[in-house]
Amino acid sequence: MAAVKQTVDQVASLEKYKHGFVSDIEQDFAPKGLNADIVRFISAKKNEPEWMLAWRLDAFERWLAMDEPDWAKVNFPRIDYQDSYYYAAPKEKVGIGSLDEVDPEILEVYKKLGIPLREQEVLAGVVGAPRYAVDAVFDSVSVVTTFKKELAQVGVIFCSMSEAIREHPELVKQYLGTVVPVSDNYFACLNAAVFSDGSFVYVPPGVRCPMELSTYFRINAENSGQFERTLIIADKASYVSYLEGCTAPMRDENQLHAAVVELVTMDDAEIKYSTVQNWYPGDPVTGKGGIYNFVTKRADCRGDRSKVSWTQVETGSSITWKYPSCILRGEGSSGEFYSIAITNGRQQADTGTKMIHLGANTRSRIISKGISAGRSSNTYRGLVSAHPKAKGARNFTQCDSLLIGKHCAAHTVPYIEARNGQAKFEHEATTTRLSEDQLFYAMQRGLSQEEAVQLLVNGFVKEVLQELPMEFAVEAQKLVAISLEGSVG
Amino acid sequence: MSVAAAIRTRDVGELPSRRDEDWRWTDLRGLIRVLPAPSESFAGTLAAGPFDRLAIDHHVLVNGGDARIDVAAGKKTLAALRLVSRGAGAHASRVTINLAAGARLRLLESYESDGASVCQTALTITLAEGAALERIVLAEDHEDAVSVSQAEVRLSPTSDFGQTIVTSGARRQRIETRASHPGGRASARMDGVYLLAGKRHADHTTVVTHDGVDGTTNQLIKGVARDQARGVFQGKIVVSEGADRTDARMGHHALILSDRAEVDAKPELEIYADDVSCAHGNTVGAMDEEALFYARQRGIPEAEARAMLTEAFIGQVIDRIWFEDARRVVRNWAAERLRV
Repeated sequence: MAAVKQTVDQVASLEKYKHGFVSDIEQDFAPKGLNADIVRFISAKKNEPEWMLAWRLDAFERWLAMDEPDWAKVNFPRIDYQDSYYYAAPKEKVGIGSLDEVDPEILEVYKKLGIPLREQEVLAGVVGAPRYAVDAVFDSVSVVTTFKKELAQVGVIFCSMSEAIREHPELVKQYLGTVVPVSDNYFACLNAAVFSDGSFVYVPPGVRCPMELSTYFRINAENSGQFERTLIIADKASYVSYLEGCTAPMRDENQLHAAVVELVTMDDAEIKYSTVQNWYPGDPVTGKGGIYNFVTKRADCRGDRSKVSWTQVETGSSITWKYPSCILRGEGSSGEFYSIAITNGRQQADTGTKMIHLGANTRSRIISKGISAGRSSNTYRGLVSAHPKAKGARNFTQCDSLLIGKHCAAHTVPYIEARNGQAKFEHEATTTRLSEDQLFYAMQRGLSQEEAVQLLVNGFVKEVLQELPMEFAVEAQKLVAISLEGSVG
Repeated sequence: MSVAAAIRTRDVGELPSRRDEDWRWTDLRGLIRVLPAPSESFAGTLAAGPFDRLAIDHHVLVNGGDARIDVAAGKKTLAALRLVSRGAGAHASRVTINLAAGARLRLLESYESDGASVCQTALTITLAEGAALERIVLAEDHEDAVSVSQAEVRLSPTSDFGQTIVTSGARRQRIETRASHPGGRASARMDGVYLLAGKRHADHTTVVTHDGVDGTTNQLIKGVARDQARGVFQGKIVVSEGADRTDARMGHHALILSDRAEVDAKPELEIYADDVSCAHGNTVGAMDEEALFYARQRGIPEAEARAMLTEAFIGQVIDRIWFEDARRVVRNWAAERLRV
């Protein structure tokens, strides 16, 4: 068992987190702590209309009456909600109109992260390379959104949430909070009160969004939380693919990231939502620091034959607690969930999905691959339910866990509720370690142990990687290798 | 908080409710507004139990009480254990079963109620090294009964534990087995069958905790829910740190044969060791229409074809019973319930 021995030895020498740098940028902060005045402060900072402030204050009232949930298989000290900044924004240079007016320090950050904020940069590569528009969220605010004009030509609205509240209040009012109600859960409620920015997408009927849309989240400020809110509406027979990426500096304190994402699909519409989450995972040995990623993501397939597909690659965060879900309301609508969750060091992840079948002939598919290494813990928790009206509902679930090392843990907690005789649910799960036989086979053919392990791990997660858009798949594959570097042979 | 405490104190606040994660699909507090008075002692004569003719030792508890079964080292026996409820009172029973080293026991356990009783049975089962126990449970409760059976099973290295629970449900019924598994080439088989009709409910809950190397667990639970019945399966396999080379498999498969029946399942794995092989499978659905078509096309009337397919479906579990005579009793019992 040389492989296992080495695994344990090498966990200590983990590859350093590559995005852990801090940028010194002049920032505006709200006073530390949380109270109704902070909520008013955020709302005022964003020049929000009265109705939005009322909505936030109502959420804050409700949040005060709620208890923090504790059912997930994660352990962390109680969060002191008064010891954090709820608003941190780069100091605004007068009248940002174009990219040239954005603080060069910020541009530098994105350059370092490899995120193209200049439209020409996107095109600078190979001719015919796929393009994608970026909304860059820095701490609490969106700093820039690219390709807005080109998208507007086909009627696609892609902007920051604060801009949407000002420019498209009717759409925001109609949809905000209808998928994830204000008091849905503790963290969603907190988000409703203090959310600062996020992306807003509206795709009009019949439009196939001409490029991938993406948001890049960066937490930079110390002691601050990030609370973004994303709302994507795909009107009848439209299609949009949306990517989300995130990183944060290495710090000793834990930072809270409590986002809410709401997706709405009308008849025949489709949204593909992909996440590559790489928040700072905390110190691998002591477990100090890292992001608490407590996120509520939910899609409402309102229209008949509509479709939502969630793909996530979760490699970062000290604690991940999220369940991207689909409410399959429309007849014949379908939901998909593809997930790779990798935990190493002292990370804890409790993630999965909910597929709620309400309409007839709804279909869902769940493929979850969990990999735990080091002293980490990785839990798949999911719900598949069919209501009495969901005749002909179908679900297929597969969740596989891979354990690397003697001190990690993998759990599978699926809930299946079938309330009618014409639903058909299948679920299978396996938990194993890397097969010694397969390792031996690969190494015997001349691969080093590290290469052999990467080959096997890549094979293990292949089904999910295939679902990612091209440019993300490559990044994700690298990320998988880096996250496990040092932990496996 | 426990059902036993609720029966003892007559305090409904002690009953588990659906707010308790472990009881989310078997809500007792929401169902029982007032606990019935304690059951009176029973003086009449009892009809024969389902396994009477097979057993050598007979243990009968009517409306509560304690029983103890000891099997000495190297001995072998066949015991019938009847837990009978007469009337509509509340009562609790306690059963202790001890198998010394190398002892062998076939335990034929039955739950029999005839009214709206509320009862709880606590079993403590201990197997010493090399002991073997096959526990066959037949639960024939009344449709108005509330019945909870909770067994704690302690295995020792090289012991064998086999269990098959067969039930037709009750108003609310929970049959729970918690096994502590030391590994050391000990093996556990924990199977179950539920055949539910009307408004009946049955909950199979099992927890197996592997604490040592080289243990195996194998579970197959199958169920059929008709009318407005509700079948529940909660299975959990825990592999503690260091319990390497554990091999654990769990399968739950259910047929829903009406539009208003419900099946809820939670097959859980909680693994803290890496050199393990654990898997679970779960399927819930309607009967295979193609198989039905095939049978009918060969001249078998629909009702009969359905019964035949259902029998074959659950037959897989019954075939795993080691004791042939008991297998026959269970198979006949199931066939009778399927041919209505």
